[in-house]
Amino acid sequence: MIAGLLLALIAGSLVSLQNIFNSKVNERAGSWATTTIVLGLGFLASLTIGLIFEGKHLFILQNMQPWYWISGLIGVGVVVCLVQGIRLLGPTYAISIVLTSQLGFALLWDSLGWLGLEKVPFTFKQLIGVLVIVGGIIVFKIGGRRESQTLISRATSIT
Amino acid sequence: MRGSLFAFLGGAFITLQGVANSRISQDIGTWQAATITQLTGFIMALLILIFVRDGKWQKLKQVKPLYLTGGAFGAVIIFSNITAIHRIGVTLTISALLIAQLSLTFIIDSKGWFGVAKMKMRLPQFIGIGMMIAGVVILRF
Repeated sequence: MIAGLLLALIAGSLVSLQNIFNSKVNERAGSWATTTIVLGLGFLASLTIGLIFEGKHLFILQNMQPWYWISGLIGVGVVVCLVQGIRLLGPTYAISIVLTSQLGFALLWDSLGWLGLEKVPFTFKQLIGVLVIVGGIIVFKIGGRRESQTLISRATSIT
Repeated sequence: MRGSLFAFLGGAFITLQGVANSRISQDIGTWQAATITQLTGFIMALLILIFVRDGKWQKLKQVKPLYLTGGAFGAVIIFSNITAIHRIGVTLTISALLIAQLSLTFIIDSKGWFGVAKMKMRLPQFIGIGMMIAGVVILRF
């Protein structure tokens, strides 16, 4: 469990850094050029690390289902939704909704165990936990009128 | 209203992406999943970029090289995200991830690192992060 939490914390820290870097690229080059370069580099990095750890095994794709090839398109949907949401609502409110929705769907997914994930039974305790976290997000984002980073390209990162 | 809908769907897609990657990695492996999904996303984004043709991409040269490397973090982010989901489930993974993400952004903002506009730490941000950590404790114990 500790290893899992640690990995999630590492991922979150890198997402934060990546968002800041991406927003710098985004300011000048626009969201599609940013998304293209972010995903292109992410692909190259994954390919390289994969080759280092697995060598030729990287290209052995067991039980490959057709939809696996297009699942990367979800990331493009994320970019469209975040760009439009931030344009219409401003970053503070848009990102508050994004984070809340992220957590809500996480709880739904655990409870239903869709896509062959191990089911984590839904309990009252879990609902309370998620509500407290959502409360924290809202206090963090809305409290003190603090404009947040544009998280436009997180799309490409959280995946 | 339309903005809220976009934001809501955006959040749903982010979670879906993590879940889909975890599912895919069970069959073909984690690095394979990271490589394939980013390749597909890259191709699609490139097509859209060519189609949109706003010419802004030429300004990439004005961006500090360091900031262009952010994409490479994606490999480690996806690997960590997938492995964490397998070990502790989606809810705990996303919760811990968001705490680290918001805390580090908060620190960077308050120090003004990487040339971001410096912002003072305020009480609501401390309370917010405290509540998020309390929520994770409730989830788990």
